[in-house]
Amino acid sequence: MKLDTTGMESAAPVWGSHNELVDEFSAAPSFELPNTTDFDGFQKEAIQMVKPAKGTTTLAFIFKEGVMVAADSRASMGGYISSQSVKKIIEINPYMLGTMAGGAADCQFWHRNLGTKCRLHELANKRRISVTGASKLFANILYSYRGIGLSVGTMIAGWDETGPGLYYVDNEGGRLKGMRFSVGSGSPYAYGVLDNGYRYDMSVEEAAELARRAIYHATFRDGASGGVASVYYVGPNGWKKLSGDDVGELHYRYYPVMPSTVEQEMVEVTGA
Amino acid sequence: MSIFEYNGSALVAMVGKNCFAIASDRRLGVQLQTIATDFQRISKIHDRLFLGLSGLATDAQTLQPLSAYQRLVFRHKLYQLREERDMKPETFANLVSAILYEKRFGPYFCQPVIAGLGDEDKPFICTMDSIGAKELAKDFVVAGTASESLYGACESMFKENMEPEELFETVSQALLASVDGDCLSGWGGHVYVVTPTEVKERILKGRMD
Repeated sequence: MKLDTTGMESAAPVWGSHNELVDEFSAAPSFELPNTTDFDGFQKEAIQMVKPAKGTTTLAFIFKEGVMVAADSRASMGGYISSQSVKKIIEINPYMLGTMAGGAADCQFWHRNLGTKCRLHELANKRRISVTGASKLFANILYSYRGIGLSVGTMIAGWDETGPGLYYVDNEGGRLKGMRFSVGSGSPYAYGVLDNGYRYDMSVEEAAELARRAIYHATFRDGASGGVASVYYVGPNGWKKLSGDDVGELHYRYYPVMPSTVEQEMVEVTGA
Repeated sequence: MSIFEYNGSALVAMVGKNCFAIASDRRLGVQLQTIATDFQRISKIHDRLFLGLSGLATDAQTLQPLSAYQRLVFRHKLYQLREERDMKPETFANLVSAILYEKRFGPYFCQPVIAGLGDEDKPFICTMDSIGAKELAKDFVVAGTASESLYGACESMFKENMEPEELFETVSQALLASVDGDCLSGWGGHVYVVTPTEVKERILKGRMD
């Protein structure tokens, strides 16, 4: 009976089993080599993936009672979470909010800059600036810095004489008016929940719960979103912060852990 | 993001008094998107030997004994038949190292963590890089995208000669604290605490963001 020696064969070649034409130097390596043109660099190339942009989730929508604005609170540097408590909803003035997505420094600086310009407008014209005007100011500033490398994906939400207003403005200089927006790497997940549950005539509580759920679902699926889901409401009297819930707790509130049914349980036998 | 960070993972193994614990996170993702929250990264070779694989999930599944392409379980079963006993952890570590080095110029993008009880119930842990360089340790080993946080957490929480219950607490706290600082791992935890008489498997409730 022939013994099965497949497990004992080594990977190295045995001397003497080679073609005499092959000289000693090239006989030694016995590793499988990949067929590539760039042997030293092919692994690095395979690793290059598209860099994710704007790791965050923010959303805003207009409904019957006003504008609802919500965001997560995580800041990430590549894979590392640098903070779980970042304020991504920026208060431009008592009746206008801006959301932050993209570079934190860029958003914080330019939103404050916008606040300054809005105040100057108020002083010069003896009346508050409209949401349309504020967003246009912002978009023009960002357009003039186009190509330099700013990273700003923001929504300007507010209440002016014409009622609720919502604009999306980004670092390319784009400016869009709309009823529902979500910005950031978690936005696809937020849109899924938001678009499904949205109705124009919701109450403030229903709208707040919809916004909270949408942010929560985005934080569950998206690695770059998390921390605290903040929800703000902008009404005729200005903005008001409604809630700031830790999404870790929200998960177990929406999906409580059910004790699993025990099929077989070992019990101590006493006496017997 | 590198290929090792494509799926995201966190693994830690710690030594206690005649026992060891091996723990992993439960997330499987594709870059930032989370696909599953119940991914198995740790597998049992035999009752006193466990292997955890961090890094690219497809390579982890290929090497894992639970998959169809069972290089490792095949080699261990063959060993069991010939020697009529289980492999010692040190021997198994050598086997994994050799298998990884066979693919030196087209490696598996995995970092294994091996934990077992050897002769006289002495706990053994080790980790290696993707081409098989072994790193033995007396206290703890870590791997995965959250490895730097894990090093810090383990270094501060570790004590010598912990009993199994205390070891479980320590490993769980270290794992959960570290994955909370990492976008790519977490979404729960899976801990095995192994003593000479029993294996306790527990699921941890963690932040799901």
